[in-house]
Amino acid sequence: MEVFANFGLGLAVAGTAENLFYCFLGALIGTLVGVLPGLGPVATVAMLLPVTFHLPAISALIMLAGIYYGAQYGASTTAILVNLPGENSSVVTCLDGYQMARQGRAGPALAVAALGSLFAGIAATFFIALFAPPLAEIALMFGPAEYFSLMLLGLVAAVVLAQGSLLKALAMIVLGLLLSLVGVDVNSGVARMTVGLVPLNDGIGFVPLAMGLFAVAEVIRNLERPEHRLLPQGRITHLWPSWDDFRRSAPAVLRGTSLGTVLGLLPGGGAMLSSFAAYTLEKKLSREPSRFGQGAVEGVAAPESANNAGAQTSFIPLLTLGIPANAVIALMAGAMMIHGVQPGPQVMTSNPDLFWGVIASMLIGNCMLVVINLPLIGLWVRLLHVPYRLFYPFLLAICCIGVYSLNNSTFDVFVLVAFGALGYAFLKWGCEPAPLLLAFVLGPLMEENVRRALVFSRGDASTFAARPISLGLLLLTLVLVLAIVLPAVRRARAN
Amino acid sequence: MRWRGGTDVIVGALLIAVAAAGYWLAADLRIGTAMRMGPGYFPRLVCWVLAGFGLLLAARGLLAGGPPLETWAVRPLLLVSAAIAAFGLLLERLGLVVAVLALVALSRAGGREGRPVEAALLAIGLAVFCVSLFVWLLGMTPPVWPWRR
Repeated sequence: MEVFANFGLGLAVAGTAENLFYCFLGALIGTLVGVLPGLGPVATVAMLLPVTFHLPAISALIMLAGIYYGAQYGASTTAILVNLPGENSSVVTCLDGYQMARQGRAGPALAVAALGSLFAGIAATFFIALFAPPLAEIALMFGPAEYFSLMLLGLVAAVVLAQGSLLKALAMIVLGLLLSLVGVDVNSGVARMTVGLVPLNDGIGFVPLAMGLFAVAEVIRNLERPEHRLLPQGRITHLWPSWDDFRRSAPAVLRGTSLGTVLGLLPGGGAMLSSFAAYTLEKKLSREPSRFGQGAVEGVAAPESANNAGAQTSFIPLLTLGIPANAVIALMAGAMMIHGVQPGPQVMTSNPDLFWGVIASMLIGNCMLVVINLPLIGLWVRLLHVPYRLFYPFLLAICCIGVYSLNNSTFDVFVLVAFGALGYAFLKWGCEPAPLLLAFVLGPLMEENVRRALVFSRGDASTFAARPISLGLLLLTLVLVLAIVLPAVRRARAN
Repeated sequence: MRWRGGTDVIVGALLIAVAAAGYWLAADLRIGTAMRMGPGYFPRLVCWVLAGFGLLLAARGLLAGGPPLETWAVRPLLLVSAAIAAFGLLLERLGLVVAVLALVALSRAGGREGRPVEAALLAIGLAVFCVSLFVWLLGMTPPVWPWRR
């Protein structure tokens, strides 16, 4: 069995003392940002990108991945104890988790969330190990025309499945493409749209752009609201769930895991979509739907398993197709590129240690996370008492120094200012920054593939529609757009 | 000022402006043909598409009405931006310590709480933290003090 041999290689890579340390560090930081409301995994991964550039590529990716799925664990703690989602993906956990805490069952709620996540994490890891390689083999047959169509589909699908205005999100994609074109053109060596600024020859920095749009904008937005007093609910007397809790949550965990695994694969999917879908499904399937919202343990088990499974399987499109499915994964793609690893189907063959090492580290990281979260729960509760006013200057300082350290240039710090302000404006205008980031990452690849495809076809643009796989992908893109636009048209007419 | 168009019109207009600026910046780049694309081909294409989306958005706002404008929190926006900009301006001139102190002072001014003593302690603590982590531990070499160059 080739899979086992490969997985063994992965475990050997992830099991070195150095990588175990970074896996643990990622899991720990992930839990931390998960617990703290007002600090999300996107902002954190963006903030820590400069630090990871000093690490080997494998260690960096293991740590960043740990932050993403670790945040799913930590977020449930805040949702259950304070009724505030630590992350968006735990919004639905608040509904029943907080009620359980009010009934004095905070401990079992936390335990069910953590153990459900552990099961989901392990299941999703094996799913990736089994299904990523065949997918990558298909993708290896793609030519530039197919790649362009695939990227277009990825971008549009990510927008369609996300929330908010479709038109604005599509516009954000195009804006991201435009921003990605700034800098010296690789083919001709001509500087494009740099306004005469020499530092812009290398393009707009990926890190200051992401950090500004997500981390700095988030800080500004948090400052405009008066600070909440966070009051954790009740004391945690016992952790172990009752037999009844186990009996009720086991099938919910299974369903949540399956749903999250599938939804994580979709562009625009990942943790958040999975948790919402899983909660809705549980409520529909339940014989007593009225228990939901009153402290039903299934309402914690299903979304918490789903968000962890979804967070992990959203790595599949990146590792096999080179398409980032959401903002965190786009940051991972950026990290890989800066380390000189081009995300895509060839990663598995050219860097098998990286591919399998990251996958195997998820297994190890999930086990670490249960230990980090359950016995140490008291520590995280105390952390919730740290007021925001003490920790946002800390975030800003990390951002500034990190951005400066990339090129030892203060120019990037000013780029950070610009994108921070722009990010805040986007929040006020209801424009999603995530599609912009995805397009910014994919932009250079899209241009490259369009150029190559048109060279192959001697300038005939119909090549995109003439090749069957490419045509299929383009048609799928069109269907997705129409599926969203048509109901909207109908509703507008009905009004 | 209250009007129906709301944010959609503003965002649409800004996108058109950005597209126009991009088009103007890419104006002297060679277009080439579809088969041998010059550096100007793709930027122009993207600008046209962007302007199209801007027009659609603005038109939708004007015809159907969009979400109303939200009020902006000007103080945190300006002071947080100023804090980061001050860091950028001071780092290579006066060193990391001064830059961090300025960053904390300005960003704390952007919040609601005064508490100057707490802010001062936080600034000193953060400066110590940054120097020990980034300079001593991670081996970065920015100027640290104003006097040692």
